[in-house]
Amino acid sequence: MKFRLLFFAAFLLAPAALRAAADLPALWAERVKCVVSVEYVTETETERRPTISMGTVIDAHGTIIIPSGAIDPRAATWQLKDFKLYLPGDAASSPAEYLGQDAFSGWHFVRAGETTRAKLTPVTVFTGQGTSPVPALAEFVWGIGLRNKDEDFAPYIMQSHVALIQSLPQRTAIAQHEVAGPGLPVFNRDGVLIGIAATSFGQSFLQFSRRNRGDPVLLVNVEESSAFMLAEEILPNLGRIPKHVSGRPLAWLGAYGLEPMDRDVAKFLKLEAQSGAVVSEVLEGSPAEKAGLKDRDIILALDGKPLPSLKPERVVVTWLEREIDRRVPGDTVALTVLRGSARVELKAVLGEEPKLLREADRKYYDRLGFTAREFVYGDAIERRVKAAEPSGVVAHSVKPSSPAAIAGLRQDDWIKEIDGAEATSFTLVAAKLAEIETDQARAEFVLLVSRSGETAVLRIKLR
Amino acid sequence: MKRGFKQLLESVVKIDVREVAFEAGTKRFTGGIGSGVILSADGLVLTNAHVASPRAVEINVTLANLERVSAKLVGWDHWTDLALLRIDLVEVKRRSLKFSHADLGESGKLFPGQEVFAVGTPHGLTRTVTRGIISNNNRYFEDTRGVNGYETGAFNTWLQTDAAINPGNSGGPLVTNDGKVIGISSRTYLGANNLGFAIPSSTAQRVVAGMLREGGGITRSYIGIVPKELQDLENFYSLALNTGMLINSVEPGSPAAKAGLRSGDILLTLNGASIDGRFPEQLPPIQNLIANQPVGASLKLTVKRGTETRDYAVVTEKLESRVGEEWALEKWGLSVRKVSRAYARENQLDDASGVVVIGVQPGFPAAAAGVSRGDIITKINDQLVLSLDVIKAAQAAYETKPEPTLFEVQRNRRVSLYILKP
Repeated sequence: MKFRLLFFAAFLLAPAALRAAADLPALWAERVKCVVSVEYVTETETERRPTISMGTVIDAHGTIIIPSGAIDPRAATWQLKDFKLYLPGDAASSPAEYLGQDAFSGWHFVRAGETTRAKLTPVTVFTGQGTSPVPALAEFVWGIGLRNKDEDFAPYIMQSHVALIQSLPQRTAIAQHEVAGPGLPVFNRDGVLIGIAATSFGQSFLQFSRRNRGDPVLLVNVEESSAFMLAEEILPNLGRIPKHVSGRPLAWLGAYGLEPMDRDVAKFLKLEAQSGAVVSEVLEGSPAEKAGLKDRDIILALDGKPLPSLKPERVVVTWLEREIDRRVPGDTVALTVLRGSARVELKAVLGEEPKLLREADRKYYDRLGFTAREFVYGDAIERRVKAAEPSGVVAHSVKPSSPAAIAGLRQDDWIKEIDGAEATSFTLVAAKLAEIETDQARAEFVLLVSRSGETAVLRIKLR
Repeated sequence: MKRGFKQLLESVVKIDVREVAFEAGTKRFTGGIGSGVILSADGLVLTNAHVASPRAVEINVTLANLERVSAKLVGWDHWTDLALLRIDLVEVKRRSLKFSHADLGESGKLFPGQEVFAVGTPHGLTRTVTRGIISNNNRYFEDTRGVNGYETGAFNTWLQTDAAINPGNSGGPLVTNDGKVIGISSRTYLGANNLGFAIPSSTAQRVVAGMLREGGGITRSYIGIVPKELQDLENFYSLALNTGMLINSVEPGSPAAKAGLRSGDILLTLNGASIDGRFPEQLPPIQNLIANQPVGASLKLTVKRGTETRDYAVVTEKLESRVGEEWALEKWGLSVRKVSRAYARENQLDDASGVVVIGVQPGFPAAAAGVSRGDIITKINDQLVLSLDVIKAAQAAYETKPEPTLFEVQRNRRVSLYILKP
């Protein structure tokens, strides 16, 4: 209600300026057709967890992008089910298909069913004459928000002015107030697309209560965002629709724990204004290792181009990681690194990313009360063991009050032995656990698990 | 009242300690009070390790006749939470002070239900006697951070009593009605009523003798196994009753790991002596048996793995605490603690080099650069931080000529560089 009044007041105060531009409600009515709500279910063995997020239609085939945070990276792709679309203000849903995630842009892609496509308008229709205008500072911008499911995802308008434009490393505008739902488009006064709202940034508040005198708390608005990525960052990447739901191929360098180098360090190392990223560890068997990259090398340039100076410094690392994600396995990258006081030139041929958590095999055992998951490369890194010798399985989830939970098994425990026999491969373990699960005469079994470097023997009583 | 009890009362002292603390990125002094009991005519006082520690800069003992005299730390063992002080005898003689001393009793003969008394200084209330019974004479209680961050309880069981024990009772004696010291009151359960714990005199006797023999600490052996009681698992491992102890974990890089022992192994004998670790309270004596072996000795462990039983030779190392030596680098506003072998193992570090940041002072160079608590400093300028001396020397150089200094810091598995600026 508040902004509707303001809107009304604006008409009274500046009639000349607004009459020249197109009628905002009319622009809004057209553009509302390029936003949807996407609902899907993460189906695990013990529960079905619904998630709702907002998305923007990007082409005539009914392809929709939703923000990267909309899907839990722990969930296996095949656990994501029942994708549905809701048009703004419409309680009826229609089926949709999940296409996968693009590593570079981070977006998840979803496609509307045949029947719904006709009702959608791609946001690209509103891009102007092939150019993507960059909003000026203080320029008026507006966008669309969607209410919750109980209000049939009713659309509403938000308006603001551009306060700041930054490279994070994507060119991002920050408006004074919330301007659109995360994942939804932002337009200028003429109705030309100028960006898509990112996940909202947190804002610090002081919380006062009877006991606490002003404790700082960080609040994040999950329904509306004041930050949006500029159209110039978005339009070139709309074609990155994954060919496969796994999102593969995925480029991999294997330089772990990149840490930014601050200005003082650069000056100390006589690099002056140069940006850099410290490589904490070179992962074994990785393309980086094959290229001769060493722990604690400082990456200064990629393909001969110095790393950009970006603020905050952490963004330089994101920039570098995105540059790898942008490429495909088989591409060659040239790295210039500082090792001690010497500059070293390296060439790395990017490889294919090892199996990800979301791709790991997993199986649930109801009587035992836990899901066993294949041990993947990322597990080895997290547990600081050599990835070349992965063995065992991981307790992916443990059902509360189940025999496994009572015996003390916890999520992410690394199961190394079952009944004294080494758990060498997932297939072997799965067969063994299935055998225990079905053997009704079984009274107990014993697991050897490792948790943060310490092992323990757990006795799981089944009867 | 028995004569022995009166003598005991005249042997109990109040202990005031002023000690240095490094945690805040600077040296600070803190104070504390506790209790103690005089054990000999030449002024040995037994108390808790958490009352008087090597960080103490000033120790004062208040005798039964309310005279105050200074004392020095002569022995410290956090594993059993015991410390030994010596009263300044020169001062005693000069001021013609008198004190009595108490005798140790036999804690092994105690039975649950037996009447005992705790004497000490709860909350600073000097010369307080409380009464209770032995609630349990063989309690297992282990705490990896129990004595001001140091490990305790691995090598002894405890006496449990319902005699009121409060803060300040620490280090005071638990005695029978004839005044014999059968325990040193040490700890209680927070939030519980009448659950007090004391170190048995049998342990105290052994530790005091060791401190006097070795001139300070107690040298123990370490092989790197984390034991667990076998209770309920005998069938699984097909063991005869009252045989064996479960090796729950083998610390990476430890002598046991090098010898090839693995988690889930069952220890059957040690140097030929059979091992029975069915219940938790049986574990400390077994741990103590290992600890009492000479450092560098080769132990023969008979171990059952699956159906196979075989011997392993394990060469012992000197036992170390996870808490390393501490220091404050005041110009940088930085407190550090040497990474110990135990800390490195616990945190899966490659080796024991580096120092852990235990505190930073806001507004000082370390905090301004972004160094924070828990970071491990591995390199300063071009020098690897292999000892505390390296960082002390760097700070000394900085004090004479303040110049930007490069720190390489590890946080989890990530490496960052920071410049500490004057």
